[in-house]
Amino acid sequence: MTELLNVTGLTTSFHTSRGRVQAVRGVDLTVKPGEILGIVGESGSGKSVTCMSILRLLKRQGRIEGGSAVFDGRDLMELDEDALTDLRGNEIGVIFQDPMSSLNPTLTVGEQVIETVLRHRNIGRRAARARAVELFEMVRIPSAATRVDAYPHEFSGGMRQRVMIAIALACEPKLLIADEPTTALDVTIQRQILSLIKELQGRLGMAVILITHDLGVIAETADRVMVMYGGMVMEEAPVAEIFALPRHPYTRGLMASIPDPRTAGEGRLSPIPGTPPDMSDPPKGCPFAPRCPVAMRVCAEEMPRLYEAGGPANRSRCWLMDEAAPARAPYNTEDAA
Amino acid sequence: MANGALSRLPLAYVGQRLVLMLVTLWAVITLTFFLMHAVPGGPFVSEKMLAPEIEAALNAKYGLDEPIWRQYLNYLGSVITFDLGPSFKYPGMSVNEMIAEGLPVTAQTGLLAVLCVVALGVPLGVAAALNRNRWPDTAVMTIATIGAAIPSYVIATVCLYIFALRLGWVPAFGLDDWRGYFLPVFALSGFWLSFIARLTRSSLLETLDQDYMTTARAKGLKRRKILLKHGLRNSLIPVVTIMGPVIANLLTGSFVIEQIFALPGIGRHFVLSITNRDYTAIMGITIFYAAFLMLMIFIVDMLYVWLDPRIDYRRRA
Repeated sequence: MTELLNVTGLTTSFHTSRGRVQAVRGVDLTVKPGEILGIVGESGSGKSVTCMSILRLLKRQGRIEGGSAVFDGRDLMELDEDALTDLRGNEIGVIFQDPMSSLNPTLTVGEQVIETVLRHRNIGRRAARARAVELFEMVRIPSAATRVDAYPHEFSGGMRQRVMIAIALACEPKLLIADEPTTALDVTIQRQILSLIKELQGRLGMAVILITHDLGVIAETADRVMVMYGGMVMEEAPVAEIFALPRHPYTRGLMASIPDPRTAGEGRLSPIPGTPPDMSDPPKGCPFAPRCPVAMRVCAEEMPRLYEAGGPANRSRCWLMDEAAPARAPYNTEDAA
Repeated sequence: MANGALSRLPLAYVGQRLVLMLVTLWAVITLTFFLMHAVPGGPFVSEKMLAPEIEAALNAKYGLDEPIWRQYLNYLGSVITFDLGPSFKYPGMSVNEMIAEGLPVTAQTGLLAVLCVVALGVPLGVAAALNRNRWPDTAVMTIATIGAAIPSYVIATVCLYIFALRLGWVPAFGLDDWRGYFLPVFALSGFWLSFIARLTRSSLLETLDQDYMTTARAKGLKRRKILLKHGLRNSLIPVVTIMGPVIANLLTGSFVIEQIFALPGIGRHFVLSITNRDYTAIMGITIFYAAFLMLMIFIVDMLYVWLDPRIDYRRRA
């Protein structure tokens, strides 16, 4: 048991007026202590829902329909409400996408940190306040001692996200879930927030799950990458390897759609044609098959399993990985890159 | 924190608002005065024709023989000294006295109705929101819809029939017995109670869907704390907003309810003074209601500073 978090077969659906939307379809993932796992995917690929399911923080219509998530020896899916709330904000911290709406507008930012500390630590209000100031200094909010009494609307987006980080790290969690922490921010601020997260991760020795749709963010920050599509894991590999040799056609498509600064202004972007599948009626086979440039007949018929691809830590959900695949060569060997 | 709130409410702004209220009040007075005089007839015109000389004498006594602008200025002059003038229909009684006599009765039932609206409406709305689409929600919303749809006089008469006449639990009229308050207060609060319950429900549901509520859950806070500290406070802001006019409305009474339960309140003067063409009473009661309504709205606006830290009146002053 070296893993901090071990998720198997996680399945989550949303029950909406249009029917059941299968947001997450059997996701397995592991996070080791102190590592940064990046999860990439388009909107609706199920990356956020996966993480919110792990913490059982889904909104009303969301239902976890199967799977387990063992965190530090306890299955989060089996814990009762009390034990789960003891853990949230304490052993697992969360940062959300939009710092403009994730803070309560009617409470001071300090209070929002203090209440987290008071909930999980047996200390007085004064000590909790001192802790809040200390946390604000740690996330480098200027004049922390006075800014704790300010309200969220008096902060910029980047500063609010720092407050969110302070809240998430208030109890020194073993795992930080960062759900698109920089998506809503200016590009310059994005960089600051990312390096802050990375620095604090190193200092506090915690593990991080970083959800993003930005491959650049992944390249800079993550140790390991998981690519999600259609509520499933498509590919998983150490970060250097996935950029050197993406195995899955979807990952290749993602990489190809990144603008290349060397050809900026000359060539056109090459987006992946088509749109993600409708998850209220997902395709029978590989969810990417309808958009896949190398799809075979089997792809639309049957779901491929996650093949081991190129190494013990590398997995790819693609029929091309199958021994029987005729065209597997260019996608499965080193010289294809 | 209280200091922080007060600093966002500069005296200059309060003064500005008070001045604005006086200007509004003046506009109300002027408009009502000329509209009232534009309507044909007068306080001393009735089926029984008065002798012309008596009518002329009465008009002279009350200054109705003077040109209209003169009457207007005279009236304005007396209003400034808080003198609302003598009633034309109740000889020997001033409008100030009319209000002073009826207001305590009205305010008492009104205040109880306000308490009823807040103490029942808000919890019912919360219960409905927390049980969204389950039976408590359906029950509360059904009753609230009925309560808002049925006019108060229907509620009043039906209740009167059942509880006073049939069951004899409460007196049919008057407030001599404490039980006499039940029906008028219930009938008076019915509409606003339903309204506040619905408003609280929808506002809380909206708040519960906010991202910061997910943040509160992600922090591991207990359900109760999330609801009270993060949910309720934010969702009550629109409720407080509407409570200003609601309090003004309830405390100034209802003609219908006071008529049905034979309460000697101010509400019936509202209507009777108009049919009587009791000029000074119309003016006096209108001014009183307008001033009271503005005062309530003013108080609510000032309270915002404590409710919502984003409200800052310094920029407006």
